[in-house]
Amino acid sequence: MRKALSVIAFFAMALAALIGGCKDKGGDNNSAAEAGEIKIGVFLSLSGKNADFGKTTKNGIMLAVDEINAAGGIGGKKLVIVDKDTRSQPDQAQTVAKALATSDKVAVAIGSVESGQSIKAAPVFQEAGIPMVSPSSTNPDVTKQGDRIFRVCYLDDFQGQACATFAYKDLGLKKAAIIFAQDDDYSKGLADFFRASFKALGGTIVEDVAFQGEVSEFKDQVSKIAAANPEVIFAPVYYGSIGLIARDFRKQGVKAPLLGGDGWESPQLIQLAGETLEGCYFGYHYDPEDKDEKVQSYLKNYKAKFNTEPNSLSALGYDAVYTVKAAIELGGGASPDQITQGLRKVKDFHGVTGTYSIDENRNAKKPITMLKIGGTSLSKVKVIQPGDLK
Amino acid sequence: MPRTLALLLAGVVACYGLNWFLSEFIEVVYVDYVNLIGLAIILAVGLNVVNGLTGQFSIGHAGFMAVGAFVGAMASILFTYGEIAAGPLAFAGLGSFLFCLLLSGLAAGALGVLVGAPALRLRGDYLAIATLGFGEITRILLTAQDSLGGPTGLKRIPKMPLLPGTETWDGGTSVFWIYLFVFLVVGLAVRLQRSTFGRAMIAIRENELAAETMGVPSARLKVVAFVFGAFFAGIAGALYAHYQHSVRPDDFTSVRSIEVIVMLVLGGLGSVTGAIAGAVVVTLLPQLLRPLEEAMGIDGLSMVVYALLLIVMMVFRPQGIFGQRELSLKLLRGLIPGRRGGKTP
Repeated sequence: MRKALSVIAFFAMALAALIGGCKDKGGDNNSAAEAGEIKIGVFLSLSGKNADFGKTTKNGIMLAVDEINAAGGIGGKKLVIVDKDTRSQPDQAQTVAKALATSDKVAVAIGSVESGQSIKAAPVFQEAGIPMVSPSSTNPDVTKQGDRIFRVCYLDDFQGQACATFAYKDLGLKKAAIIFAQDDDYSKGLADFFRASFKALGGTIVEDVAFQGEVSEFKDQVSKIAAANPEVIFAPVYYGSIGLIARDFRKQGVKAPLLGGDGWESPQLIQLAGETLEGCYFGYHYDPEDKDEKVQSYLKNYKAKFNTEPNSLSALGYDAVYTVKAAIELGGGASPDQITQGLRKVKDFHGVTGTYSIDENRNAKKPITMLKIGGTSLSKVKVIQPGDLK
Repeated sequence: MPRTLALLLAGVVACYGLNWFLSEFIEVVYVDYVNLIGLAIILAVGLNVVNGLTGQFSIGHAGFMAVGAFVGAMASILFTYGEIAAGPLAFAGLGSFLFCLLLSGLAAGALGVLVGAPALRLRGDYLAIATLGFGEITRILLTAQDSLGGPTGLKRIPKMPLLPGTETWDGGTSVFWIYLFVFLVVGLAVRLQRSTFGRAMIAIRENELAAETMGVPSARLKVVAFVFGAFFAGIAGALYAHYQHSVRPDDFTSVRSIEVIVMLVLGGLGSVTGAIAGAVVVTLLPQLLRPLEEAMGIDGLSMVVYALLLIVMMVFRPQGIFGQRELSLKLLRGLIPGRRGGKTP
C-alpha cells in the first residue's frame, strides 16, 4: 500500500516537473535585448571524460567576457553567459542546445570542443535561426551542417596538409609512416589528409598503422613501423597517447622525429614525455613565446585570473568571444540574424590565435604554428599560412 | 479483430493528441525529455521480452539499435536527397519514412536471428558475454565504414514527416512518431505476455528443462524473443537517427546497452510497467538533477546523486519498482481504502 502510494507520488512528481515546463506564451525574443544584455549560450563538456576540454575553454570565454564587460560591454550592452554541461556526451549536446535555443533564447551560441558534440548541436541552432560558433571543433563536417554554423579554428584538412608540407618541404623528409586511432574522427581525419597530401607532394608512405580504442601498449604497431625505416612518423593522436607511443619508439631505437597536430598539446606534455619527445614537432594554434601584445596580455591576464597555465582551447574560447563581438559590431546589432550577418563579414580579425578571416564556408582561414619540442621548452619553427599551401 | 483495429485507431489519435498538446503548451526542452523517454521505453520494453520474460541475459541491445539507426538513416537520406549531400534539412516523405523504419526493424530483426540462433547453445554469463561482443563488433564495424561516415557517422538525416495540421508547431512531429511505436511495442508486449507464447517464455525463464519436458519449443521461442527485442531496437534506432538528425557509431556503445538493463532491473525485471517506469526514471533523473547541479555550481554532481539513488534503490527494493507485477486497475483499486483489489492467486 505505502509502496504503491510512493509509485503514484513518483509519477505525480514527474508530471509536476513537466507542467513546470509549460511554454511561456507571452515571452518574446527581445526581453534580454531590451534589458541591455546580450545572451551568449555556451555548451561544453564540463564534466565527464573530457571535462578538461570544457573547463579550459570556459575559462578563456569567461576571461574575454569579463574584459569586455569591464570595458563597458558592446554598445552599452553587457554580455551574459548561459553555460550548459554536455557531460562529454554528444547526444546531451543536442539536449542542452535545445534548452539554449528555446528556453534561454540566446542570441548566439559558443561550443563545443568535440566535433561530435558540435555536429549534434548544429541542426538545433540552425533550425532555431541562432548562429553557432565552435571554438575548436576541427572536423570538416561541422560547418557543413548549416549556414549559421561557424568556427574560429583551422580544419583537420588544413592541419593535415600543413603537417605534410612541413615534413616534406621544410624538414626535407620523403619517407613517412603514419600511426593513428581508427575509431577517432580527429585522428583518422588528420591521417587521411596527411596521407593524401604527402603523396601528392611526391613523398612515400612506407607504413600505415591503425589502432583502436584505449591502447596503452604500442609495441606491435611500433615494431611494424620500425621495420619500414621511415624518416618521419606522423602520429595524430591526443596527448594521453603520444607519450606512450614516443616511449615505445625510443625503446625500439627509432630515432626519426614524430610529428603531430594540436591534440598533442597539454600543460603536462613536456613532463609526460619530455625526453622521449625531444626533437619532435607538432602543429599548434599559436606561439606561446610570441611577442605580440595581444598574446602576451592574454597570457598574463589568464594566469592572474585562474592561476593556471592557459592552453590553446582557452585561447580559442577567448577568440570566439571576441569574434562574436566583432560580428555584433559588423552586423550592426545583437539579434541572431545580425550576428550571423556580422560573422560572415569578419575579415583580418586579430586574435590570440593569429589573424584570420571567416571564409565563405564559415571556417576561419588562419595560420598554423609548427612548434619544436626541446628538453624543457617549446620553440616556434615555422608559421604556415593558408595561402602557403598548393 | 475489430477491437484491435479500434484500439490501434485510438492509439493513433492519442499520439496525435499528445503531440499537439506537447508542442502547443510545453517548452521544447521538456518535449525533448518526453521524446528521449519514449525511445528508452521502446528499447526497454523490447529488451524485457528477452531478459525479463524469457530470462536470456542479453547486453548487446545497443548493437541492434545501431544497425537500425544506420540502415534507417542511410535509406532515408537516399530517398530524400538521393545522395549524402549538404543543404538544408528536408522532411522525409510519409511513405519512405515508414518504409525506412520497417527496413531498419527488419534489418535489426534479421540480425536478431543471427545472434539468437548461436546464442541457443549459450546460457547465463556466456550468453551475456557473447551479446556484449556482438554489440561492440557492430559498433566497430560501423566505425570502419567510410561510406557510412566513419567515426562521425551519418549527418543531415531528414526530419520526421509532417502530419496534417502540424506545419506551424515548433516541436515537429517527433512525439507522434515515437509514441506511436511506444504504443505498438507496449501493446504487443502486453499481448505477448498474456498469450500462450508468453506463458511458454516465462516457463523457459523459470526452468528451461522442465519447460522443454512439457513440450515448450524453447529454441524457437528464444529466437522469437530475440527477434522481437531486436526489431523494436532497430526501429528505436531509426527514430533516434531521424530525431537527432545525425548518428555516430559512438552513440551505441555498451554503456547504452547497460543503461537499458539498468532500466529493466530498476523497474522490475519481467514487468512491462516496470520497464516503462525504469525507462522514465533512468532518462529523466539525470536531467531533473541538472538544476541542482547548476544551483550548487558543481558539474557532474548529478551523476553522483544518480548512482547513489540507484544503490539505495537496490538495497531497499532489489526486485525493482514494480517487481514482476504490472500496474493495472486491480492494483489501483487496491489503493482505495476499504476495498481489496482483485483475487490473490
